[in-house]
Amino acid sequence: MAVKVAFMQCSDCWGCHQSLLNAHLGLLPVLPALDIVYWPAVVDFKHDSLKARPDGDVLVGFLEGSLRTNEDIESAKLMRAKCQLIIAFGSCSCYGNVHGLANEWDIQDSIDRKFKQAESITNKDTAKEPTSHMPGFTRKIVPLDEVIKVDAYIAGCPPKPEAIISAVQFLLGQKPQPMADAAFCSECVLKDSGCVLEKGVLCFGPITSAGCTLKCTSNGNPCVGCLGPSKTVDSRASKLADMVKNAGALSSGDKKNMYEFLALFLNIPLMSGFDLAGDILKQIKRTGAPQTPLANLPSETEGIASSLMGYLKDHRDFLTVSTVCDTCPREIGSKSQMTKVKRDYEGLPNMEDCLIEQGYLCAGPITRAGCGGLCLRVNAPCSGCYGQTQWNVDQAERFADIVTKTYNVALSKEQLLAQMKDKIGFSEKFTLATNKNYR
Amino acid sequence: MGKVIEVEPVTRLEGHGGLRIVLGDDGKVKDAQFNITSTRFFEKFCEGRYCEHVPRITPRICGICPIPHHLTPTKAVEDAWGVKIPEPARKLRILLQNAKQYSSHILHFYALAAPDFLLGPFADPALRNVVHVINKMPEVGAMAMKMMDFGQKLCAAIGGKSVHPISAIVGGMKKPLDEDVRDKFLKEIDEQIEFTKKTVDIGLKVVTDYWDVVANVGVVPTYYLGMTKNGVHDIYEGDIRIVTPDGKKIDYDVHNYLDALGEHIPDHSYATHMYYKPAGYPEGIYRANTLAMINCADKMATPLADDALKAFRDKVGPISHHTFAYHWARLIEAVESIEMIATLLKDPDVVNPDCKTLDVEPREGNGVGVTEAPRGLLLYNIWSDAEGICKKLNLLVATNHNIAGIEKTLMHVSKQVFEDKALEGLALPKPWID
Repeated sequence: MAVKVAFMQCSDCWGCHQSLLNAHLGLLPVLPALDIVYWPAVVDFKHDSLKARPDGDVLVGFLEGSLRTNEDIESAKLMRAKCQLIIAFGSCSCYGNVHGLANEWDIQDSIDRKFKQAESITNKDTAKEPTSHMPGFTRKIVPLDEVIKVDAYIAGCPPKPEAIISAVQFLLGQKPQPMADAAFCSECVLKDSGCVLEKGVLCFGPITSAGCTLKCTSNGNPCVGCLGPSKTVDSRASKLADMVKNAGALSSGDKKNMYEFLALFLNIPLMSGFDLAGDILKQIKRTGAPQTPLANLPSETEGIASSLMGYLKDHRDFLTVSTVCDTCPREIGSKSQMTKVKRDYEGLPNMEDCLIEQGYLCAGPITRAGCGGLCLRVNAPCSGCYGQTQWNVDQAERFADIVTKTYNVALSKEQLLAQMKDKIGFSEKFTLATNKNYR
Repeated sequence: MGKVIEVEPVTRLEGHGGLRIVLGDDGKVKDAQFNITSTRFFEKFCEGRYCEHVPRITPRICGICPIPHHLTPTKAVEDAWGVKIPEPARKLRILLQNAKQYSSHILHFYALAAPDFLLGPFADPALRNVVHVINKMPEVGAMAMKMMDFGQKLCAAIGGKSVHPISAIVGGMKKPLDEDVRDKFLKEIDEQIEFTKKTVDIGLKVVTDYWDVVANVGVVPTYYLGMTKNGVHDIYEGDIRIVTPDGKKIDYDVHNYLDALGEHIPDHSYATHMYYKPAGYPEGIYRANTLAMINCADKMATPLADDALKAFRDKVGPISHHTFAYHWARLIEAVESIEMIATLLKDPDVVNPDCKTLDVEPREGNGVGVTEAPRGLLLYNIWSDAEGICKKLNLLVATNHNIAGIEKTLMHVSKQVFEDKALEGLALPKPWID
């Protein structure tokens, strides 16, 4: 039986919807499970049709966008009334997004710049804020959960398609099935010599579907399970099972692999990118967990998944404190050293070393994981779109504190801070709306 | 008392808006408004940021066209600082821009526009959407998704992320395309060209089926705004071109944009009304987007697209004021994009690591960057101080360029519908799907 879902857009860019649509063919298994009752981006139901529904009629409501206008506030309240479960969909509703940077100014300054001062305006003598059939602006942008109760958060600007689909599947209790017959190991370039798992590195090849490009192990890296489970497992699965039985003792590199594996293979909604409000394990229990959301797994795979879920049960922090650095492919403690803060346009960094150690301001150390380090992979520093790992602290100070202590940085904390000209734009670009000092 | 007809919200639109049509007692249309009810003040909060960070903020203006919103401010800062980028970087950017144009145009055609035509204008609103189209025409749906997927994946491969890319930097690009990734796209290119041809065939059948509508509904003479390079259709660089209602073409260097483009602040829309300044407001109201670009072009940049342009002009004449021809124009641009992609993927420069100049120094001044985004011209004017901090930003985005023209068209069509009852005599085809 399809469940009713509604998508509401507040002041936004459509990017979360585009990201959802980017799943393309991946959407097909999900669509039949959904009865879309409101989604102005795609379907033709009007506002009145949502208003006319009884309260609580819709199971899941996705709310995208920042609360910049009074209409946005009304839309949020309407959704809260009509939906049993509200998801803050994307970093706008989670944290206010870049639009929250406007909180640095009085709203009137923004209005004046746009409607009175812009160089191209030709009716400057009469121009003013439009008011005819216009909703008016909120004085400051605040995150959605300061206006209505939120049940779950999907962060990211935009959230990755995989994260959205797995969040939807998770909420609907839908279970993806195993795919290829053989395991990754059967095609692995290192199967006969140089196996990384045999060297003691956590590699999920023995239980992962074959059929990928083999790029990870070709480069000497372990498999993190992108393709999901295989129908049969490789004999090395027992070695893997032994390693994860004591997951707490794994090295930081192995934990990084485990983190990616949990997201990609086990379809655990990307953890730091997807949060249930309140106690996550209590919420998971409501759906009969903690257990893997996958079904019909080979027994060895089931055992490995159970070990990891057991670890999550005892280490809730693992879900929330991972940073972008934890999933970044670059080396920390590299041969590079930051001796001064470089601007992004200066030089061209190499692809191997930590960007901070190469001199660039990268928000990775203070930013929640979930993206998989997409920016870093094209040589661009993290700008913090998944939100931070700690709140109610001075983020620029915290950044300076962390990197001067644990990264190869030759500057003192004070020197580093002094060289950061736009601290807010760097460290709170996506989250300033959560900062009560700017209300 | 007359009557007020409100459409709230306008659906299948990348933004926020409602329509408001006011009818008098006599049944005459008194007013037709397009109320855009949201804006977010990027012009203000980019102030004080590092200039090179502006292109990492502004993609959030539009999730469908974040690539032009990444490349255009980058070009504006390069203009302000006098930076020349290496040729491989320029080609990568053009490839990226075309990948976006392709996926966006296909998304628009299949997901936003096609339900109107395939189901017909009087279909059940509950079914008039792309999900139903996919269910009823699974082969066409699968093809459409493969096309969008190709474009979006290519955007992600070059831009790092397809939504809100990060790889352009003042001075070039952070990274070239990986060779193995390039090869993967090359393998798919022939299939994509075939898909595009099939899509054009579907589009032409729709035009033929709906010819009575195309030729008679919403035919509104306006000015047009687009971009060309030496008269040739170009979405990455060139001059601003205005076409007058009677077909005269006038070019402006992008730095002189204030001579051509006026911004009128209305009282009923947060998206402001743009017009051709020498003609005054509202007489100079222009339209942007695909039809405008096609009206501006002397020719297309690629052979198949140029053939498609000739076929278009044979049917509608050298200047088309047919609002419904926007869809046809969009497909001509999609053909150009896939041809550009095919050519550039074979160009060794797109995998050339020499894609970033080291010769970049901030300097005080203002710069202008212009590209053609999928929905119309995009212009950034950025003021930098000597240290490269953004002092001021003036933004003219596709929405601004389109709103006044859409409203003018809405007034025209409202009169046709409510006063002339023009819909009653129209020849409409039997819907393809029900």
